[in-house]
Amino acid sequence: MKRNYFSTGNFVLSLSLLLLILRYDFVLQIYSLLFEWCSLLLSDFLNALNIIDFAIADHFVSALLIIIIPLLVISLRAKKIFTEPLSYPYTIMISLIFVFLFAPLITKVHPEFQKNINVTKLLPPLSSVKVVHLNDEGKSKPYIRFQLQKNKIIPGSFNENVLFADSTKTGDDVVYYQRGDEFLISKKRVASIDGKPLITSKLFLLGSDEFGRDTFSRLVYGARISLTVGFGSVVVAFIIGSLLGFIAGYSGRWIDTMLSRLTEMFLTVPSIFFVILILALFGNKVFTVILVLGISGWMSLFKIVRGEIISIKKKDFFISAVMIGLKRRDLFLKEILPVIIVPVVVNLIFQFGNVVLAESAISFLGLGTGTEYPSWGSMIDSGRNYLSEAWWLIMFPGASLFAVIFAVNSAGRKISSSINLLK
Amino acid sequence: MIAKAVIKRIFYSLVVLFLLITFLFFLIRLAPGNPADKFISPKLNAELVHQTENSFGINEPLHVQYLKFVSSVFSGSLGISYTYRIPVEKVVLQFLPFTVFFALTSFLLQIFCSVLLALFSANKINKPVDKLLAASSLIIYAVPSFFTGVFLIYIFSVQLNLFPSSGVSSFGNESFTWVERLIDYSLHLILPILTLSLSGAAMFYKYLRDEIEIEYQKPFVRFLKSHGYEEKVILRKHILPNALNPFVSVAGVELGALLSGAVITEVIFGLPGMGRLTLEAVLSRDYPLVIGCTLASGVMVIAANLFADLVKAFLDKRTLQGGVLQ
Repeated sequence: MKRNYFSTGNFVLSLSLLLLILRYDFVLQIYSLLFEWCSLLLSDFLNALNIIDFAIADHFVSALLIIIIPLLVISLRAKKIFTEPLSYPYTIMISLIFVFLFAPLITKVHPEFQKNINVTKLLPPLSSVKVVHLNDEGKSKPYIRFQLQKNKIIPGSFNENVLFADSTKTGDDVVYYQRGDEFLISKKRVASIDGKPLITSKLFLLGSDEFGRDTFSRLVYGARISLTVGFGSVVVAFIIGSLLGFIAGYSGRWIDTMLSRLTEMFLTVPSIFFVILILALFGNKVFTVILVLGISGWMSLFKIVRGEIISIKKKDFFISAVMIGLKRRDLFLKEILPVIIVPVVVNLIFQFGNVVLAESAISFLGLGTGTEYPSWGSMIDSGRNYLSEAWWLIMFPGASLFAVIFAVNSAGRKISSSINLLK
Repeated sequence: MIAKAVIKRIFYSLVVLFLLITFLFFLIRLAPGNPADKFISPKLNAELVHQTENSFGINEPLHVQYLKFVSSVFSGSLGISYTYRIPVEKVVLQFLPFTVFFALTSFLLQIFCSVLLALFSANKINKPVDKLLAASSLIIYAVPSFFTGVFLIYIFSVQLNLFPSSGVSSFGNESFTWVERLIDYSLHLILPILTLSLSGAAMFYKYLRDEIEIEYQKPFVRFLKSHGYEEKVILRKHILPNALNPFVSVAGVELGALLSGAVITEVIFGLPGMGRLTLEAVLSRDYPLVIGCTLASGVMVIAANLFADLVKAFLDKRTLQGGVLQ
């Protein structure tokens, strides 16, 4: 048998390996932080629990997963899982999940980080600026070791110890230029290594936006929002749609009529208006967005489940199973579930694409999660104002959105056409 | 028989409309804050606060409020818009003509292009041209409309400077002759209509093409072919009517969505349509206008679906007896 080297498992492995090689020092730093935290946990339990916040936990989890996931893939490969040949939908979905899990490793820049806007605003992709690192000698307060290490690793939305400059010159003092203006800074203030002032350069891989924020970093964290909202809403839609569909199809008569009319009514209101109405009335927290997008998308699932159940009830195999006297649980698990699972999954895949699209659309209108977190839709919305100067602000989020939706749609189509062939 | 089915279908539409009104009423009552809050200053004394609240009918029992709401909806007087300071019906009627024009133009364009392309590729199924068309339709369908709009503005307004990027008319439009004015309007509307139509046209094309492909594989086509019917006749008289049936239901849904306002396109291009009116009403908590807009769009959607069902019944008389109209 010919071995397929372009399998999903190998793709995951190579992505993790690439990330490990690129960020090995950072991963090691996180592990040392984790070690500090564990020792803190042993000595001062309550403080250790208080100190942990979402950003720290996020870093710990990604540093652990970057080791665990390749091992998991290798061990599962023996059981013929993760050996499917790589295709476009798989590539995009794996990359998306990868970005979702390892966002803090992929980009070390906080998505909201901004400093020296006059230097960093609206930079085109692949441009870089000089970074002057300053001494933090102004602070004499004794920091505990953990805090020091933490501040080095976890990116904040603000850092007072760096300066961005177009170019620098080192003489007796450090001279730096910001948009043609010359500034002097004493060498003592600048952090140094071996007597030389520490000046690095920062690359804006995909450019920066009007506030000097890194587009790449915002894109990566935006993928997280898209995936969270997408999965959450699909789960909500699945629960509502399949439950109501099952009730309607199974009990029939007036319950069925009532639920069907209710579904028709939901289909009557264009979902975008429904979503806007609810978000504007009840506020746009992430949880509300997930709930609302789920509630506005269960109707097709209801119709599928109801239709399938009604047709199964008339089929000979089901009637004979009832005659034999199977238990309700067995009836459901062995007779109904295998038949409805595939159309339901196909529907959920399409629903995921719709939700990702809807989330970015409402963020584009200024109602989604985009006001709180970076979201692809709100990135396009704010890029609209700088269309003549900064094409990268709309092209990259737009292209990522397209790639994801196209991948989801083609995955759904592939599965549904393979079912049609079976029939 | 036909009349009975149609009347039943219309009655059913009215029931859905009634459900929609009820749903709307409870949604607005459930929302935090009430319509009177906007008009109550913290310095107002208790009696005046009470009076203001009473004028909005908030303190009455719920069923009385509901009955009043329903009767006001059916009598057509929805109250006065807080932002426009004129009756809601008048505001809606100001914005409705543009939306109807915009939606119908885009809808006809979508149908025209997709049917034309589908007929073009009907006898070339699975040949390179057809595959290319199918693949590009899938790609166009996956592009979000707000990205299409911004992208078109970037190419045609910013880079090439061919079309204006927002509004429906230029400044000083009143002094133009009618020919100039017509050109002005159409220049302004080309990009929005393109944005609105592209993904819909791609979807319709793919749908119709797939239906035609499925119909071609059915036994009756082989039967007709063996009897020596021409390809053209088979396509026009036998395949197309069968393939159009599901296509019409999809088109009905799309027409309803278009008629109730294309929020995103209207926001991108700054057009005075129902979609933007609804968005603004919701954002400024203009409750009477929200109700008016939602009702208008609900009526549009219900009417479009009704229309689609009637067209389906016209195309295929069997649906009168079968499930669709009953």
